[in-house]
Formats: sequence, structure tokens, C-alpha cells
Amino acid sequence: MVGSPVQLIAIPLLAAFLMPLLGKAWKELVRLTPGVVLLYLLYLSVDLLSYTIGHGRVVEVIAGWTPPWGINLVFSPFSGFLATLMLFMGLLVWIYSYRFQPFEDYDDYEPTLKYYLLLMMLITASVGVVLTGDIFNLFVFIEILGITAYGLTAYYRGRDGAEASFKYLFIGSLSSTFLLLAIMIIYSQLGTLNMADIAVRAHELKPVYKISALVLFLVAFGIEAEMFPLNGWAPDAYSQAPAPVGAAFAGIVVKAGLYTVIRLIYTLFDVGGTYEFLIVMGLITMIIAEFAAFSQARLKRMLAYSSIGQMGLVLVAFGIGKEEGVYAALFLMFNHAIIKSLLFMSGSYLVYKSKNKYISELNGIGKMLPVTSFLFALGAFAIVGFPPFAGFWSKLAVLTAAADSGMILIIALILSISLIEVVYYLRVVNRIYFVKRDTDLEITKPTPQAMLSMLVLGAIILVVGFYPDVITGILHKASATLLDKGSYINDVLSLSQTIN
Amino acid sequence: MNIIHITLGILLGGAVLTYFANKISGIVRDLVFISSIVVAAVLFFIKMTPDTVATFNLGGITLALGMNHFGLLFSIIILGLAVLAGFYSLPYMKGKDNLGFFYMNYLLSIFGMMGIVMAKDLVTFFIFWEIMTWSSYLIVVYNGNNANKIGIKYIVFSALGAYSMLMAIVMVYSQLHSFAIADLAAGFTTMPAGYQIAIALLLMTGFAVKAAMMPLHVWAPDAYSNSPMSYTAMFSGALSKMGVYGLVIVFVTMVSHLPQNIWIRETIAWLGAITAVMGTLYAIFQDDAKRLLAYSSIAQLGYIITGVAIGTSEAMIAALMLAVLHGIFKANLFMVVGAVERQAGTTDLTVLTGLIRKMPWTFLSALIAVIALAGVPPLAGFVGKWMLYESLITNSNYILVIVIFFSSTAAFLYAYKILYGIFLGQEEPEYKDVKEAPALMVIPMLILSTLLLFLGTFPGYLFKYIDNALVVMGYPVSQNKWWEMSAIFNDWGNKVNLDLVAYAVLTVFITIAVILFYRWKNTRYVTTKDLSSCGEMPKDDENYSFKLDFYKPFERAISPLLKYKISKYYDEFADGMEAFFDWTRRIYNGNAQTYAIYVVTFLVILLLIANNIFSA
Repeated sequence: MVGSPVQLIAIPLLAAFLMPLLGKAWKELVRLTPGVVLLYLLYLSVDLLSYTIGHGRVVEVIAGWTPPWGINLVFSPFSGFLATLMLFMGLLVWIYSYRFQPFEDYDDYEPTLKYYLLLMMLITASVGVVLTGDIFNLFVFIEILGITAYGLTAYYRGRDGAEASFKYLFIGSLSSTFLLLAIMIIYSQLGTLNMADIAVRAHELKPVYKISALVLFLVAFGIEAEMFPLNGWAPDAYSQAPAPVGAAFAGIVVKAGLYTVIRLIYTLFDVGGTYEFLIVMGLITMIIAEFAAFSQARLKRMLAYSSIGQMGLVLVAFGIGKEEGVYAALFLMFNHAIIKSLLFMSGSYLVYKSKNKYISELNGIGKMLPVTSFLFALGAFAIVGFPPFAGFWSKLAVLTAAADSGMILIIALILSISLIEVVYYLRVVNRIYFVKRDTDLEITKPTPQAMLSMLVLGAIILVVGFYPDVITGILHKASATLLDKGSYINDVLSLSQTIN
Repeated sequence: MNIIHITLGILLGGAVLTYFANKISGIVRDLVFISSIVVAAVLFFIKMTPDTVATFNLGGITLALGMNHFGLLFSIIILGLAVLAGFYSLPYMKGKDNLGFFYMNYLLSIFGMMGIVMAKDLVTFFIFWEIMTWSSYLIVVYNGNNANKIGIKYIVFSALGAYSMLMAIVMVYSQLHSFAIADLAAGFTTMPAGYQIAIALLLMTGFAVKAAMMPLHVWAPDAYSNSPMSYTAMFSGALSKMGVYGLVIVFVTMVSHLPQNIWIRETIAWLGAITAVMGTLYAIFQDDAKRLLAYSSIAQLGYIITGVAIGTSEAMIAALMLAVLHGIFKANLFMVVGAVERQAGTTDLTVLTGLIRKMPWTFLSALIAVIALAGVPPLAGFVGKWMLYESLITNSNYILVIVIFFSSTAAFLYAYKILYGIFLGQEEPEYKDVKEAPALMVIPMLILSTLLLFLGTFPGYLFKYIDNALVVMGYPVSQNKWWEMSAIFNDWGNKVNLDLVAYAVLTVFITIAVILFYRWKNTRYVTTKDLSSCGEMPKDDENYSFKLDFYKPFERAISPLLKYKISKYYDEFADGMEAFFDWTRRIYNGNAQTYAIYVVTFLVILLLIANNIFSA
């Protein structure tokens, strides 16, 4: 028997409430609980995912209120894949941050509790965003996600963290405002908050309401998905947040943001021009972000801009549409989660003791931190798409999809941008290994836990690179599910009919 | 499990094992390294039969590897050089840092090249192409000399080429829904005209980068001269031939079907010729033996490209012949320079002098290689050049012949310079203690020299492989007179007996050598300081070597031509782009208010134009 998707939300919420109490009993439990919870949830999620692949999506009605009245959770191969990915990344982030030295430096019970609480809630909220079938519920999860993310960004109680967190909060609150406005428009016109129901009845909306709601949604979700020019908050948040949190942003939070845009365009509204909009905005996002990444002097900011650029590419892939495009986009998301998290994790140990985190301070660090440097180089090679590493297959997929739609110019653009990417990543790799060190550099060796999670990610890069079939089957299934809007509506709304 | 799996498996596994063996001890590492090359090569040549096929299914794509005679010709260059340069590496690289890393990448690039020549579909081809590229890149930056400039230049051009190829590949797939090279060759003409020409040109760009064709050659001098010489022997000898391999395929299967056929052929042939001339001229003025050879490699590949572009049966044979020979003699010369670098500590031609008596075997192989390079009979280079001229004349490319002849003649200048610079001239006391290189370095050089002598006399052995290769590419079988050097493909009526020419020249050389030998007794060895100039005593730190400003008058004569360096324009472009990127970066000014303004402005603009871009 498969567990219920509700557990994916309910258990971590319960655990979060219990954690302060458990901490009173034994302090170590505060650190251990998220790991145990995430491990169980990952097991549950994998189990559910393999079930849904065979049997179609699982729609869970909460408290007996059937759709379109109650809140429901939809665990389909698409949303389930994203949820599983998030839980997996969450588990690795937890392993990485277990006894992470800067956290231990506080030597205080309170900050530790806060960190693990917030991290678990961040992951829960992201999972909630992708699973929920109710648009107001989505809003709630996005708010939880935002609040935990602001808190984690400012976790180091310094000026920089606070400033980054404030920017994030400022722009994030704009996002919430627009989102709420859009939901109000929908509710006032259709009287429903269920996404499947909205999708069915969207044609009842007057064009002016429909377009305004769409624009408000796009801007609100665009902020979460780091679309240009709405992504000013992102580089600061990524680079000022503690290392594991940066990895969590790249691996988990931005995926939730992208999901909202995709659900909006693929399921909620059937409006012409949205796909083209995605392509254009994706390209602009990608170009500007990669340009900016090229001229960064600080490692983590470079990674942050690069991450935004990749999200632009994902948007382009979703904009291409069809099964191929969605498949490519999901593959890109998967690879980005794995590789960019690895880069953040290993990169933060490379600049660990450095005050300014400049790339130019990395000269010759490869000799001092061989494994970490190797993993960073592996990540760099993978993300620029050198075969036989994971990134190549997703790049091939997105280019093939574009070629099949006859978008030759877009291919040329994507490849030219990749050239920039190659330069700035290999510049770093060159410094790590091939430029002689001129100044003394203090280093810190990664903790065994951090090493473990980095090695797992490195292994995945190699495995997917040499044998992509481990992941392609589920990606195909997930992309087919996303495109089959009719069955989504049917599966959700049929519940009310069967019960009535 | 067949020989393809085994060869590639040994090379890949050997690469990983070598890296880890380095942690155990240097000897284990060397053994693992050399045995994986040798075993792979031996098994390959014993077991490999054309028509062996291996397929893999990855990511919904069927990857196919196979072998034919065309690939076999290139495998011989790759594995042959890999074995020789591999043995040469052992003493050459001894004592350097990170050898596990170096040998791993050495094996990976061989792995990549073998995959390329066996690839039956475009994705496989691309995967191995990129493995070759990044592994060679890691060796280019291995020495750490100015890694961020030289390495980045190499990888940017390589990536430019690779991405052009990738674009062509996905375009092919969108039209034919197959990645197989055979399907591409068969279905090429069914594609829309625009696609045909775009695909051919994009693929050509990718290959031209590796073959260092102007104007895509600027990475080559630095990359060749900065890698360890034991790898450059492979790099210039075999890796650059992958570009030629691809160009042949593009010209035969694609360009020949295009309506713009003639124009493309002429343009590329001329680009090849210009590459040859400019490469030669730059080579002449290099004072560093490594850079001289690097430019010479560019020039020599120019001839090959011209031959491939002309594409007649004779031209193709000439090009492939030159490709094989260039692999041999250039590998030989890079090994010579590496040996000199190791023994004498420098490769600066203005400083080195008179090593002939210290390193006689090295000199001997350098002499033979240089003669082959210059295309003087009786060595094999002559045959290749002769056939190239002949094919160009047959094809009525008279001006092209003149240009190539000029460059080929000018090549004598640098050929002489490198020989004289290193081995001849007065002996200086600072090189008193230089010894001959270790046997493991000398033997590979001598093997290559012997091969050059052999192929010069019996080019038929090579023609057999080339002929088989060209039959695969759809050319008619040539005449079966393998043992006769003369008269093959000689369309001037089979009258000129090249053997006679060759041996006449040989006799003259030997006669002169004998005369010189008998006068040798009266030789007195002097240093450059052994002179009296108007009663002034030469100081120790002054360089009186003839090699300083060796070809000054010639340089002055052609200096206007050398003023236009393409790399300057690339540098300016790169600087401009960097400034532009930096300007773009300022969009993110770090101010929360600005970001909020962006958001609100974006929302307002989107609301205003929403009706135009979205249709409800």
C-alpha cells in the first residue's frame, strides 16, 4: 500500500512543532530530526512516484471536502518527480549542513534549532507548492517558502546577510501582493480556487480579467522563477546565504518558482502568446545573467548569476513546448539541481576562509583541497555541457527540441551563450589547478558529512552522464503528464462526481 | 563484447587506473599507462576487422561505433603515434608534477580520437570529439604557463567549433530524424537547400578549428608550444588530423552535392593555401623551436586542407598521404625538440648551438624529418607534395600551385633554421656536458625516421591503405601498382620515372657527404667567442651566434605582410565583449529600490502591451 501524499506536508509540519520539545530532551535531536523526517519522506515519495508511473496520478482530498470546494494534493509523475527531486536535494543539503562549522561556531542552542526548523519548512513549502491543486493553498505555501527563505538568507547575523534578506523580502512581498491580486480577480469572477476547476472554466472569464490576472500571475511567479528583470534579489540571496542554503536555493526553491510559472501556462490558462513570451523572457534572462556572471569577481555571485542564466534556458525549453521541450526542460531542471548544488557546496569550501570570496584568490588551491576541487571541476565541466557528463544530455535535448520546432536562431543564441559559460567556468578551473599560487591561503577541509553529500552528487553526474537512461524514462513520463491537461482536470474533478 | 568495446574499454579504464596508480608509485603508474596503450594498440590491429560494429542505447539514442578502411587509416596514425609518444613520454615527463593527471588525459584524448574515427553516428562523434577536446585542453594548461590566456583561447575556439558542429547535428536530426552518418550521407540531398549549405558550413567550421585553418588557427601556436612535447607530438601529429578526417567526410558526402560546390571548394582551397603561406612565413621568424614547429604544423595542415578541398581523386590521395606523413615527421620533430629541451634545457634557437656531436642520434632523426618536411626526394614528403602539385595542375588551379610552391619552398628556410639552430654552428662551452637523450626517447624518433625513409622508397605500402580508405569514401579504385613508386596517378603520360629522380638526388647528397667527410680531418672546433673584431675582445654575455636575426633581410622584405595579425582582431573583439558584459552587469546595481522599480515597470509595461502579445 502506498502512503498518502498528505504525509509529505503533514509530517514535516508536525516534526517542526515537535522539534523544540525534542531539543529539550536531547539537543542532538534537533539536528537529527530533519534528517530522519526527510529520509522517510523521500522513501514515501519514491514509492508514490513509482506507483503513479504505473497507475496514473494520485489525487488526495483533504478533510473530505472534494474538489472544487476543498483543498486537494495532486501527486502526478510530473509534480511527484519535482517533489522527489526536492526531497532528495533537501536530504543532501541536510547531510551537508550537519555540523557545518559556521553553524557550530554560534555554540548556541537557539540558532541551531532555528536553522533546522527553517530548512525543513523551506523544503516542506517547496514540496507543497508543487503538490497542491488549490491556488490559494499555493499562495500560502509560497508565503511559507518566502518567509523561511528570508530567515535563512539572513542566518549569519551580519550586515550583508541582512541586506540581501531585505532585498529578497522587499521583492518577495511585491510578488505576494501581485499573486494575491490575481487570485482575487479569479475568485471574484469564477468563485473557485481549485486549479482544475479554473482550468475548465477559464473561458468564462472576460478577456480583460483573464489577461490582467495572467499578467499579475506572470509577474508574481516570474519573481520566484528568477525571470529577468524580476530577479534582482536572487544573486544577493544566493551569495550571502550560508553555503547549504545557497545549494538549497539552487536545488529546491527555484524549482518551486519555475513550477508555478509552468503550471500557470500549461494548465491554468489557455492563452495564446504565453509560450512565445516564455521563450523571449527566457532568452533575455539567460543572456543578461550570463553576461553578468562573466564579469563577476566573486565565486558565489558568479554561481548565482549562472544559476539564473540556466533558469532562463529552462524557461526557453518550456516555451518550446511539446513533449520534447518539456522533457528537455525537466532534464535541465534535474541537472541544474544536481550540478549547481554541487558547485555551491564545493565552491563554498574553496572560498571558505576568504574574506571577499574572490575568484582570484583560488590560485593553486587544487593541491590543498584535492577532492573538493575535483568535484568543483567536475561540476563545472558538467554544467557547461561537456560530454560524457550529465549536462550534455540535457543540452542536447533542448537543442534537438528547438531544432525540431525550426528555431535555428534560438539554437545559435543558446550555443553562443554557452561559449561565454565555458569561458567563465574554465577560468575558475584554471585558477584552481593550473595557476601557481602567489599568496598564502587558509583552507578548511570539508566535514565528512559535507564530503559525503558532494560525492553523492558527483557520482550522480557521472552516472547520468554515462547512462542517462536511469533518468530519461521518468522524465518522459513526467513531461507527458504535464502536457495532458485534460486528464489532470478529469482526475481532479471526477472525485467530486464519484463521491456525490 | 567485441574489439571495439575492448579497445575503448582498455583506453578508458587505463586512463582511470593510471590516475589512481599514481597514488601507489611512479613505476606502477608508468606501467599501467604504457601497457594500456600498447595492449589496446596491439589488440586493435590484430583483431580489428572492418565491419565490426558495436551499439549502445543511451538516452533514447542509439550510439553506434564501427570501423571501415577510412577510419583504419586514421587509427594507424593515432595508435602508432600514441605508442611511440607514450614510450617517449616516460623519460621525458619523469620528475614532473601531477603525472597521473597528465597520463590520464593523454589516454583520454586517445580514447576520444579512437571514438571519433569509429563513430557511426553524429552524437557518438560529438561525444568523443568533446572528450578529445577537453582532455587535450587539460594538457594544454597542464604546464600552467599563462593558463588563463592560452588555455582559454584554445577552449574558446574549440568550443566554437564544437558548438557549430552541435548546431549542425541537431539540424540534421530535425530534418532526417536520425543521427546516423550513413543516413546523413544518403539523405543530405533531400533536405531543404538552406539546411544543406548551413549544415555543411557549420560542420566545416568545427573541423577547420581543429585543423587550424585560417582564420580559426590563432589558438594553435600557443597550444602546441605550451603542451609537453611528448603530447604535442600527438597533438600536432594525430589530433589535428581529426579535423582533416571530418573535412574529408564533409567534402565527400555533403559539399559535392551542393550547387555552390565549386565556390566552397575554391574558397577553402585558397584558405588552406593562405594558411600554408602565412604559417610558413611566421614559422621562419620564430626564434623558439617549439613555436617554429607549431607554425609549421599550421602551414602543413594548410596543404592538406587544400588537397581535401580540391577533392579530386589525386588531390585526396595527396592530402591523405601528406596527412599521414605530417603525422610522422612532425611528431618526430616535436620529439626532437622535446629531447633537446630535456637535455640542453632550452628550445631557444638563438641560444642553442652545435649539439650535433652531443646528440648525434637526435640530429639524425631531425635531419631525416626535416628533409621529409621540406619535401626533398628521396623522402616521402616529396611524393606527397609532388602529387598535390600534380592534382592541382590537372585541376587547372595554376595560381594555387604557385602559392603552394612558394610556401613549400619558403619552408626550406625554417627547416634549415631549426636544424642549424639546434645542431650546427660553433660549440659553446655551456653545452659541454649535454648528453644524448635516453634510449626510450631516441628509439621512437629513430623508428619514425626509419618509417620516413621506408615510405619515401616504397610509398606503395601507404597508398594501399589510402586507396582502401578512399574506396570507402566512394572514390574509384586506383591502379594496383603498389610497388612502383613511379607513374602512379601520373596523368602526364606515365613518363616521368620518379625513382630515377629520387635516386639521382640521393646520389648527389651522398657524394657531397662523402667529400665533406674526407675534409673533416682538417676541421677545428671554435666557439662564437673565438674571433677578433677590430681588436675588440668579445664579452661573455654577448650573443655572437649567427642565429640572432637569422633571416633579417627577408623579414624586412615581407614585414608589411606580417603586420596584419588576425589574433589582434580577436583580442580586440574579446576586450570589447568583456567591456560590454561589464556594462550589462551594472543592471544589477545591488539597490533594492531599483529592483522594485524594475518589477513595477515590467508589470506596467506588460499590462499595457498584454493585449498585443496575449490572445485570450
